[in-house]
Amino acid sequence: MKFESYDIPDELLYTKEHEWAKGTKEKVRVGITDYAAKTLNDIVYVSLPKVGDNVKQLTVMGTIESIKAVSELYAPLSGQVLAVNTALETGPELVNKSPYSDGWLLEVRPSDFEPDKGNLLDSERYAALLEELSNKQHD
Amino acid sequence: MKITQLRQTYGTTARLIEFAGFEMPVWYTSIMEEHLAVRSDCGIFDVSHMGRFRVKGPESGRLLDSLVPTSIASQPEGRSIYTLLLNTEGGILDDLIIMKLGDDDYLVVVNAINRERDLAQVDSSHGRMDVEVADETSSSAMIAVQGPRSGEALQPLTETSLSELRRFRCAEGVISGHPATISRTGYTGEDGFEIILHDASIDDPESALDVWASLLKTARPCGLGARDSLRIEAGYPLYGNEINERTDPFEADLAWVVSKEKKGYVGYDSIARLGERPPPVVRRGIVLREKIPRSGFPVLAADSSKVGTVTSGTFSPILRRGIALALIDSTRAGLQNQVRVSVRDAEVAGEIVKPPFYDEKLFGWKRQVNGK
Repeated sequence: MKFESYDIPDELLYTKEHEWAKGTKEKVRVGITDYAAKTLNDIVYVSLPKVGDNVKQLTVMGTIESIKAVSELYAPLSGQVLAVNTALETGPELVNKSPYSDGWLLEVRPSDFEPDKGNLLDSERYAALLEELSNKQHD
Repeated sequence: MKITQLRQTYGTTARLIEFAGFEMPVWYTSIMEEHLAVRSDCGIFDVSHMGRFRVKGPESGRLLDSLVPTSIASQPEGRSIYTLLLNTEGGILDDLIIMKLGDDDYLVVVNAINRERDLAQVDSSHGRMDVEVADETSSSAMIAVQGPRSGEALQPLTETSLSELRRFRCAEGVISGHPATISRTGYTGEDGFEIILHDASIDDPESALDVWASLLKTARPCGLGARDSLRIEAGYPLYGNEINERTDPFEADLAWVVSKEKKGYVGYDSIARLGERPPPVVRRGIVLREKIPRSGFPVLAADSSKVGTVTSGTFSPILRRGIALALIDSTRAGLQNQVRVSVRDAEVAGEIVKPPFYDEKLFGWKRQVNGK
């Protein structure tokens, strides 16, 4: 689905901090949403945990920077980092170009898959969150 | 929130923020693309939020001379003079451009955030002098046309010969039929013009909309994001970041603004005293090996002792590296000195440089065109 110009794929789960997650209890891929990428504008640097590090759900796992601003990245689920997208080291603009595919951030082996999933938003609820933010901005 | 005369040109895709009480665009499409357009071609910025005062009358030059450390009345007509307003301690209240349109007619352009305070200082200083001070901010609009092709963008709209208007010169003229002041100045490091349209009020902004639309045929609209990354790359200070009431012109690396012969202006006694010895800190540039410095990050020596603070930081689209302006202990601020910048949980190596950060043979208003 879409909210305004922002893509919100139906099959993903979302955090209120604008990360997405997709996968199985073996492996979950994580990225930032189209809304986050477009709002940040021109992503020029991504700082991620290392392979083997543990991340904790809804706590800071890294930073993503545009020319103008720094934004924190939150882990959608707890677990151990299996892989990071090394293409972002030389091509951070991939996050702007395709936040849901080539611009993915990292993969995690979840430690509490089912309970963690319950804390995330589906596409409809994430769309509702964007609408709420948009209304706040226009007030 | 206030809006400028050009508010309706921002469209629906620009990202808007509040800046100095005005609703302004940070970017129209992309800070990167807007930045690079100004470095290679031409970009236009709505800078109508900036404060504009008219100072007129037989003693207008004398009034301005009493307020700033740069000689004003003795300058020839048609100069755009970059200078500072100081407090009695020599701290910087604002930086500004004074356009000398005639011996008794000046246009003063100040930072939006300081407009009211600056106006109050000018108003309270003239006493019985024969001058008139008028705030023209809401009756005029201002557009910055910046980049190596800015002359090509602006010349078709005016009979004023732009090739004869040299850097830091200004002239009154007509743009697309509207009375205007044209100044060959800017805040990007590139060649360019700042134009003030005198008949563009908030209620009747037609002339500003008309000129903006004409410029858009060849220039790209740019927001405050690119304006900031461009001025950092050029090494220009921003009030509130590099300069404020607790920074003096020597610390700000703006000693060239202070006339050696001049006396009697606000702050003179302090400036004379401060000029006798090196400042404790001085403004410098730092190029980082990796990561991006941001305002407030500590600058460290090799032994990790703190020697300064980042005042502005960004990713440089030209260098493709993180760059910073910083106030650094002047005994440690030698060019090419190796420093470290504390970037959150990491210490990143960097080198002290004197801005601009780009190669002036390739970028900026001094660039060599066609090998000249």
